[in-house]
Amino acid sequence: MPHADTADTCIDARHISKMYGRTSAVDDVTFRVQRGRVFGFLGPNGAGKSTTIKMLTTLVRPTSGDISILGIDAVKRPLRVRQRIGVVLQQPSYEPTLSVEKALDKYGMMWGVPGGTRRDRTESLLEEFDLAGVRSRRNEDLSIGQRRRVQVAREFMHDMDLLFLDEPTVGLDPNARRDLLDYLQNRVRATGLSIFYTTHILTEAEYLCDEIAIMNRGRLLEVDTPDALKAKLGDEKTIKIHLPYRPPNIRDLLSGMDGCRIEFGGDHRFGGGGGSRTGSRAAITIRSSESELVLLRVLGILRENRIEIEDLSAVPTSLEEIFLNMTEELKGQQGGPDAGAGGDGGGRRNSRRGGRRA
Amino acid sequence: MTHPIIRLVNRNITISLNPGFLIWQVIFPLVYIFVAGFAYAPLVQGIQFGAAKDLDYPAFLASGMIGFNIMNSTLVSGIIIWNDRRHGMFEQIMSGPFTRGHYIISNICTIAIVGLVSAAFIMAVGYPVFFEDAEISLVTIPIIVFGAVAGSVLFGSLASIISTRLSSSEGFNVIINTVFLFFAFVSTAFYPAEGVQEPLRTAFYLNPLTYLVDVIRAGIFGSVDAFVAVEVAVLAVLACALFVVASRLLTRLNV
Repeated sequence: MPHADTADTCIDARHISKMYGRTSAVDDVTFRVQRGRVFGFLGPNGAGKSTTIKMLTTLVRPTSGDISILGIDAVKRPLRVRQRIGVVLQQPSYEPTLSVEKALDKYGMMWGVPGGTRRDRTESLLEEFDLAGVRSRRNEDLSIGQRRRVQVAREFMHDMDLLFLDEPTVGLDPNARRDLLDYLQNRVRATGLSIFYTTHILTEAEYLCDEIAIMNRGRLLEVDTPDALKAKLGDEKTIKIHLPYRPPNIRDLLSGMDGCRIEFGGDHRFGGGGGSRTGSRAAITIRSSESELVLLRVLGILRENRIEIEDLSAVPTSLEEIFLNMTEELKGQQGGPDAGAGGDGGGRRNSRRGGRRA
Repeated sequence: MTHPIIRLVNRNITISLNPGFLIWQVIFPLVYIFVAGFAYAPLVQGIQFGAAKDLDYPAFLASGMIGFNIMNSTLVSGIIIWNDRRHGMFEQIMSGPFTRGHYIISNICTIAIVGLVSAAFIMAVGYPVFFEDAEISLVTIPIIVFGAVAGSVLFGSLASIISTRLSSSEGFNVIINTVFLFFAFVSTAFYPAEGVQEPLRTAFYLNPLTYLVDVIRAGIFGSVDAFVAVEVAVLAVLACALFVVASRLLTRLNV
């Protein structure tokens, strides 16, 4: 199917699927990314993120569907696509025997960047990625975090219109992670670069991305802005109750609660019998869109049974919790091996909300 | 902007030229030629080669070292593919402005360049040892160059095939070292096939290094005969066959 080179679209994926033998890695995924924006692609391990990014970067051909990158048909003209994109893959990639400085320079050379420009960019990237102190060190002698920074910095040696980053902060310490996110943000603002960013660190996506897609088991569940996702799916609050000990009958006591999801956790697993006041601390996490009502009922039950409360808090559901809920709900619907489990001690679902899909 | 293949060759040569590789390429053959060659000379009498030509052992060994070094260097260059896979650079290159065709041809070019430079180096170093017997002419130079290029492609392709088929470092090292040992010492690089007992003698001619060494030695000492012509043909066929297999495997290599 031909794609129009629309001025505002850099990625147009339509009904893309990828099968490995009989296993479906990506199943009928459709989405569009606007130019000059950061698009976050979230999903747990094995969700199909890396397969999707490999199809978008032309490393792998889709089994079916159409992909247009910067207005170019990625299946028919992969080389033309690759000439205009940058890719930082999930797994480390480096030239072990080259120094950091030489590795940056050679990577620029591979992209046909002239010598003078390479020298200038090498110097500025060494500073911006805090690599000047290890410029003469060989890649194989670097720490994992330093090597990762070289891998990301290297990609900025050449010009590009669209950058794919597959979990680029893996191995970075919190400071380096924040520095990288700030660098990317500034780069987008200054140059209009478009970024496709996969991660399973939700705070990163919330901080960096203009739009977020959530994927699980090869399927796209939602695509929207972080705020819209929270407004749409984060209408519930999370109540956390800590108990100084684990009452043996707590599951039974709360079993009749509707309109909420309850997870039991703590230092020891909840279970039948054996609990005592000298046992370990326990935690109950309750998620509900009717949190006030649910809280009153729970407090009533605890008071009636003379169960002491150590600590109680209620917070709006974070993007991370939305993500966990969505992916777990899908597991439950698909009857996965751990469907229904939740929290440390095994959860019990009373949710009234069904799974949501895009 | 230079062609993608040239850019990849530039990169391949840069990453290959590390101290370990240079020591392997320079020190090893020098020790063989000037230590082993002269130390064994009193034990090994004149070696008959071609039409009634007696070579002393250092001259015989130095000429054999050219083929040996081509094999050595191109096996190492062929390992570029292994290292690229191991260190994630294969996928990185494939996601850049290159095709698999660029990658395959650039590796073959790198291997050929390394092979030729290696051959030229040993020729230069070994020349004082064999210059009295050398009969290099306009007819034999193309044979030497052909042998060097065909041998490079052959051993480079072999290393590429091993690189694409194996995934564990241990397996790769065991195979490469075994291949190296067999090729190096079950060949005519260090000693002539004449006089060697069966089945070792037959094993010599199951080894492509024997053909490479014989062709280059014949070119240097000007003793090209019908048997050498057959060896040239065998070398060419083997190089082509292994190149085709290596290219196919590289084309199918998953990222």
